[in-house]
Amino acid sequence: MKLRILSTIFCLSVSASAWTDYFSFEKIPNPAGIDPQVGAMDTFEDGRIAVAFHRGEVMIYDPSDKSWSLFAAGMQEPLGMLIEEDGSILVMQRAELTRLKDADGDGVAEEYQTVFDDFGMSGNYHEFSYGPARDADGNLYIALGIASNGASMREEIRGEFSEIGKLNREEMSTRGGWRKFKGKAGRMYARVAMRGWVLKLSPDGSKAEAFASGFRSPNGIGFDAKGRLLVTDNQGDWRPTSPLYEVKEGQFYGHPASLVWKEGWKEGDPMEMDVNKLNEMQDPPAGYFPQGELANSPTEPVVVPKGVLPDDMVGQTLIGEMNQPTLVRVLDDVVNGEFQTALLPMFDGSPLGRGNNRIAFGKDGSIYVGKTALSWAGDSGITRIKWNGKPFFAVQAIKAVPSGFAVRFTEKVDPGTVDSIKVESNTYEYWKNYGAPKKDLQEIEVTKVELLEDGKTIILKLGETKEGYLHAIDMTGVRATGGSELLGKKAWYQLNEAP
Amino acid sequence: MKFIIPLLISTALIASANPDGALLFTNNCSACHQLDKMVVGPSLVEIRELYKGKPDAFVRWSINPGKKRKNVIEMPAMVHVGEEGLLEIYEHIMKVAEGVKAQKQAKGDPFAVSPTQAKRPQIQRIFMPGAGPASIAVALDDSMSLCWDAGECRFRYAWNGGFIDGYPYWRGNGNEFATVLGNIRYVEEKSPFPEADQPKFLGYKIENELPVFRYQLASRVVTETFSALPDGGGFTRTFTISPTPSASLEMDFPANQTVEYSSDKGTWDGSKLKLAPAESAAFTINISFK
Repeated sequence: MKLRILSTIFCLSVSASAWTDYFSFEKIPNPAGIDPQVGAMDTFEDGRIAVAFHRGEVMIYDPSDKSWSLFAAGMQEPLGMLIEEDGSILVMQRAELTRLKDADGDGVAEEYQTVFDDFGMSGNYHEFSYGPARDADGNLYIALGIASNGASMREEIRGEFSEIGKLNREEMSTRGGWRKFKGKAGRMYARVAMRGWVLKLSPDGSKAEAFASGFRSPNGIGFDAKGRLLVTDNQGDWRPTSPLYEVKEGQFYGHPASLVWKEGWKEGDPMEMDVNKLNEMQDPPAGYFPQGELANSPTEPVVVPKGVLPDDMVGQTLIGEMNQPTLVRVLDDVVNGEFQTALLPMFDGSPLGRGNNRIAFGKDGSIYVGKTALSWAGDSGITRIKWNGKPFFAVQAIKAVPSGFAVRFTEKVDPGTVDSIKVESNTYEYWKNYGAPKKDLQEIEVTKVELLEDGKTIILKLGETKEGYLHAIDMTGVRATGGSELLGKKAWYQLNEAP
Repeated sequence: MKFIIPLLISTALIASANPDGALLFTNNCSACHQLDKMVVGPSLVEIRELYKGKPDAFVRWSINPGKKRKNVIEMPAMVHVGEEGLLEIYEHIMKVAEGVKAQKQAKGDPFAVSPTQAKRPQIQRIFMPGAGPASIAVALDDSMSLCWDAGECRFRYAWNGGFIDGYPYWRGNGNEFATVLGNIRYVEEKSPFPEADQPKFLGYKIENELPVFRYQLASRVVTETFSALPDGGGFTRTFTISPTPSASLEMDFPANQTVEYSSDKGTWDGSKLKLAPAESAAFTINISFK
């Protein structure tokens, strides 16, 4: 026994793998004099990167000579971007979706066309606007964050005010003395039109549909490779920990404030509704980012293109994270027709650092990570990450199987190490409080680990699996046959449906 | 009996995870509090100075926080962490901040003279005082600036002096208004157009570095653009309306301002400008400060 322990320790010391063995991390130079907090990024066909900054500049980075040029300026808090076929750039800023068009081809936009602005603004700082994501038919999806009771509304608002709530318009707009009222506003509130909704816009922005409700601070909206609309949201009130949703038309995603804007809403103040009723109404997350362990403020989902990561990860989804020094990989699964995911860290413990708000891919296979803080914990600037082309040992896929999980690795696994896997499960309280601790946290017995013939796939048989529970699969002790440690050691699988 | 066992196990697990002040801190505090510099809330170094030897005061504040600092958002109550957990967080803060010095943070805006902020003319969307939340600040030149409201599609006010200080907004997450640098000389309380209900903002085009605002009033598209009069003496305002109105147009400007109105077309009756249909297709107004 003693010998065995010694050999394990020896193993650890010689073969500890690090992200830096496979990826380079390089800060690209910031444009001179510009506040380099990144709100949005996208890549042109020719490989140049468009970047929108905190103070509203839209600049273009040319990786070939590391130069910056100014394309547009004066946007208010741009947090989303989409480059169009003709080189115009759609930018989501606080007040509107704007098309920046360089009609005369001099490299600078001279037209700032309002594509869509038919939504409310209370003037509250937390009403950020996100998107757009574009579907296969060209429709655009935007997500509207709700207000925080860290501040009131302003006297002047844009759009309709909802009378539903404990405070009237005057009280909601009290600037001095807000402390008297804030407790009755709701921790987060949606008193102006369509806050907390995902809206679907026709390709030209002329028509809008209320697509889905229940969002809080959805700082991440995008389609995955299979055409699913993914939205991330931030831990807070009615969000026990940050969730990942597959957003479907007509569904409600948990934060009640937005419900006042549901057509024909007759249930009164949604913040006062019976929690059980709200719980029945909500569509569950397809994944959870455990607060503090994986991510606190998840950001934009993007699809990994060819050449960026090993081929068996191409088409998978990556998500940014502002608060923790990591990105997040999404491993998807479909059980009984339901999309659900395992989430695991990527580049944790690497030089990447915090603030990872937006992700764009260079045509040379680079991953550009744009950082922001907006006065929260975070960072600024852009880190360029480049894979060196060597295969590395990681989790390739996790699928739910009867009474357990199948885990496929990118390389052959040392059979002597798979017994070290630990699994625990928990759920979360759905309540109005700000975040929630894990509930029913329980270690799950791994009754059997079976290694399949390919040498890369294991079947974890568990004493029990619980539908609706988050299953943490800790693979820290697993080694490849060559002794490598896993890059991304722990995965969290949200088992909404068990096969 | 059957259900008691898992309950015991789960309590044991939570109990073993709970005393970790560092994890509780990461989960509940780290988004707003960093070790050696103020972000949303004060640094751990500062918290340590404030609460050293006063764990009870720390717990009381965390359970029922208030507003102490101007321009800083109030902390949400941390009652869900529980007193024991808060004490763990307290211990964690006291430990990690010991002997650490706060980063020197320069006062004022580090990007005040950036190429885009210092440029004149300049167009900047930002929260402006005395206007709607979809406002646009425009510096016409070094001494003449104005606020245009894209929500209501109308001019709001103009000022002499500097442009704006956006730092109160930019240094945080947008909780503050930008500050107007200078003296407001002219204000409009409503659109000068007679039928300005439910306007639709269409955006702007930049010509000669200045915006040409476009908006729709009923069935007509209006463009509105500005230029500065010499020496901060006021500004001109050029409108086009298409299709050309079929009836005469009366523009109603405020009578209570210390300005002189003049125009290249139409006739004035006090602060009202009457334009024949053909004249209203394109006209320019001068607003000079008295």
